[in-house]
Amino acid sequence: MQLFAQILVNGILLGGLYGLMALGMGLVWGVLNIVNLAHGALIMLGGYAVYYLYTKGGIDPFAALPIAMVLLFLFGYLLQRFLLNLIVRSAQLNTLLITFGLDVVFVYLAQLLFSADFRTINPPYAGSNIDVGGVTIPYAQLAAFLVAIFLAAILFLFLDRTRTGRAIRATAQNLTAARLYGVNPRRIYALTFGTGAALAGAAGGLYGVVSQITPYIGVTLTAKSFVIAILGGLDKPIGVILGGLLLGIAEAMTALYLDPTFTDIISFGLLVLVLVAKPAQILGRA
Amino acid sequence: MRRTMMVLAIAAVAACKRAPEQGGQITASQITLGASVQLTGRLANTGRYYGDGYAMAVERINEKGGVSVGGKQLKLALKILDNQSDVNLGVRQCTQLLTQDKVNFLLGPFSSNDALDQSSVAEKYQVPMVQGGGASSQIFSRNYKYIFGTLPPADDYYASTIKMLMKMDPKPKTVALVAADDSFDVSVANGTRKLLKEAGLDLVVDKQYRENNSDFSSILSLAKSSDPDILLWSGHEAEALNFIRQAKSLGMSPKLMYAFTVGVPTADFRKALGKDAEYAFGMTPWLPSKDLKDDYFGDAAVFAKEYQQRFGYAPDYHAASAIADVEVYAKAIAAAGSLEPAKVRDAVAKVDFGSLYGKVKFQPNGQISLPQTVIQIQKGEVVEIFAEDFLGKPRYPLPPWAKR
Repeated sequence: MQLFAQILVNGILLGGLYGLMALGMGLVWGVLNIVNLAHGALIMLGGYAVYYLYTKGGIDPFAALPIAMVLLFLFGYLLQRFLLNLIVRSAQLNTLLITFGLDVVFVYLAQLLFSADFRTINPPYAGSNIDVGGVTIPYAQLAAFLVAIFLAAILFLFLDRTRTGRAIRATAQNLTAARLYGVNPRRIYALTFGTGAALAGAAGGLYGVVSQITPYIGVTLTAKSFVIAILGGLDKPIGVILGGLLLGIAEAMTALYLDPTFTDIISFGLLVLVLVAKPAQILGRA
Repeated sequence: MRRTMMVLAIAAVAACKRAPEQGGQITASQITLGASVQLTGRLANTGRYYGDGYAMAVERINEKGGVSVGGKQLKLALKILDNQSDVNLGVRQCTQLLTQDKVNFLLGPFSSNDALDQSSVAEKYQVPMVQGGGASSQIFSRNYKYIFGTLPPADDYYASTIKMLMKMDPKPKTVALVAADDSFDVSVANGTRKLLKEAGLDLVVDKQYRENNSDFSSILSLAKSSDPDILLWSGHEAEALNFIRQAKSLGMSPKLMYAFTVGVPTADFRKALGKDAEYAFGMTPWLPSKDLKDDYFGDAAVFAKEYQQRFGYAPDYHAASAIADVEVYAKAIAAAGSLEPAKVRDAVAKVDFGSLYGKVKFQPNGQISLPQTVIQIQKGEVVEIFAEDFLGKPRYPLPPWAKR
């Protein structure tokens, strides 16, 4: 029973971070209808940003997160403003191609700049934990989880309460109507993509604290984000976080009660199930 | 217009992804060695040892006059293609190397999975492949004639470690074994299970995980709940890093010691983990010792220094194994006095020489046999602990994380 509780906690903590990874992807997908295949690469860049802020700048990784988010926001904003806006209204294949191309470019530039060495963001408290009734809760993972929930809440409030947030949702729901009300879609798209990139940046920093960073971590993370975004639906941040939790718990349970080699089967099996059971969620967007 | 731009952009991206090529032109007066190596991608971090090692060995052998073939001095040339850590691309590139680029002989990639598949190409075209990156017994159990390997058999990786454990005080009883599901690690796990049984140790946790996995929390929690004396781990370096970090954060620590097949001898690994790398046991078939004399480099210590200076990172056994591969060709081609693949193949099977990597002599199945020296990270340094007998003092037993 204790083992079960431990695995559940592991899964929840992992799932929160998964949710944060997928949050940016879901947002961009929902509003811009771009399946951003470079999302994992943005997570990777965020990881390196926090890594260098910590190792070279001496800034605590959690304090460095907002800085990395601002950097990634600017990067994402400019990327959308000057590149992706050119093709955002064209066929979806084009957006897939260009984000795939960007992914390749980012990954190889990262190897050129940062080398293929493994990096870890390893503050002194990274490995410490607290024991609650026989269940070990690692601080860093807990903090990463809380940051993920916090950012999802902020995103929800931003989309729900602010004028810009409403403009973003309006653009997603009905572009023509939004335009008639004076929304400038180019600006909204850039803001949205920037926000997505900033969330990826935060996820990358946290990922570096609990795992490790190389230029190549992105591919798997893009695939995971994709699955979670679909599981959670593209409408609400909370859905994405729940999708992340579901995947995290499913993976942790699979590893213990079935076999650790089955985790991918479970996560992609879930994806197939959702697509079969609720295809409208995805197809309705296309 | 926009569409044209897109096409151009994609073409540019494709061009970026194309493999960088190294080595000279292929002419009749050269012996060209070809290889498809992971210079980029997931395994680039270890793949570089092969790219750099091959280049350095070829250069050095040429400086020393090249290879004498039937009274004529021929220079070596090298053609390396980057397979981007993609096994299938590696197979295609090997075919390309043999059919289009007309290289004379093949060198190998890193990792057993890659060597396993690439060697089939060598066998099909009946061209020797001497590879220093695949240790799995799977590679050598197919009765192939043209594949040779300079890494010792994966099945025996933990042999010296288990031998050492039996001489330790307190003596361990229970063991947890965690291994990845790729060719190399499956081989290690199979061999280790047998060795443990022979040693009379009790296997209490035996878990296989998906290669490239990054979350070990479930396996660690399970291992923690059964509280083994020993934890033996087999996988790739990136996974070892995650495993140790997550072990710390979950407070999982075996009672006596833990050991890892990879990572421990590598400088990068110790740097990434910092203090958390302490106490980890590992193994290596090679250490840069002055006693390992070499015809081209002097000895292994000199080699290690030159390698570090030239590439900016320290070599480990992968690099030394890569050097040995090239030297095998130099020796075998000279002995064969011919560039005919079949004759060179027979000569490779017969080589027997001392190198900076150790004594190079292939068993009938094509694989080398070298003992693994048990090593441990102590105060940020790799310390030799055990080979046939103790070489250094192990830090044992392992203190729990809270007391480190």
